[in-house]
Amino acid sequence: MDTTRISPVGRRGLAAAVLFVATFFAARMILSIEGADMPLRILAALIPVAPFAWLLTAIVARLKAMDELEQRIQLEALGIAFPVTMVILMTLGLLELAVPLPPEDLSYRHVWALLPMLYFIGLALARSRYR
Amino acid sequence: MKNRIRELRETRQMSQEELAGKLGVSRQTVNAIENDKYDPMLPLAFKIARVFGKTVEEVFTPDKRR
Repeated sequence: MDTTRISPVGRRGLAAAVLFVATFFAARMILSIEGADMPLRILAALIPVAPFAWLLTAIVARLKAMDELEQRIQLEALGIAFPVTMVILMTLGLLELAVPLPPEDLSYRHVWALLPMLYFIGLALARSRYR
Repeated sequence: MKNRIRELRETRQMSQEELAGKLGVSRQTVNAIENDKYDPMLPLAFKIARVFGKTVEEVFTPDKRR
């Protein structure tokens, strides 16, 4: 990959994203070890928060650097992703009250992935409106 | 809102890329404005008018259909 074409903010975001993914999977690995000490388990669970906070600063800096149309596109993407995720979460919550749901398939631990997925769908839809 | 950006840009033999550079926006934004898919906010509208040496009213006109 030619990293010279990526802006400093983009490079910061990429580094933070790589670090976050690495610490996330390291945390998952540590948490899967049977008999690991409780302080180590808590530390492993919390470590990915730091690179994620760093990633967040890069995302905010990138948003501020965008022109007004790109900012509007981002807003529309979130405007689609956020309410749709809320409706899915609410529906799952109500269904859970109505019938027992299989925790491994429909657990809230898996539902977090919906938001970024719907954000990218929203981004594609919003971009197509202004093409 | 209707605008004369494409006409003014082509008269000056300026590409969308060049205009975008002068305005500090992306080429996609210039393209969306030219095609009436996006109405710019006031600061950008004034900037566009200034690039062409016109007033905002000379570049942008209300679209009566909307």
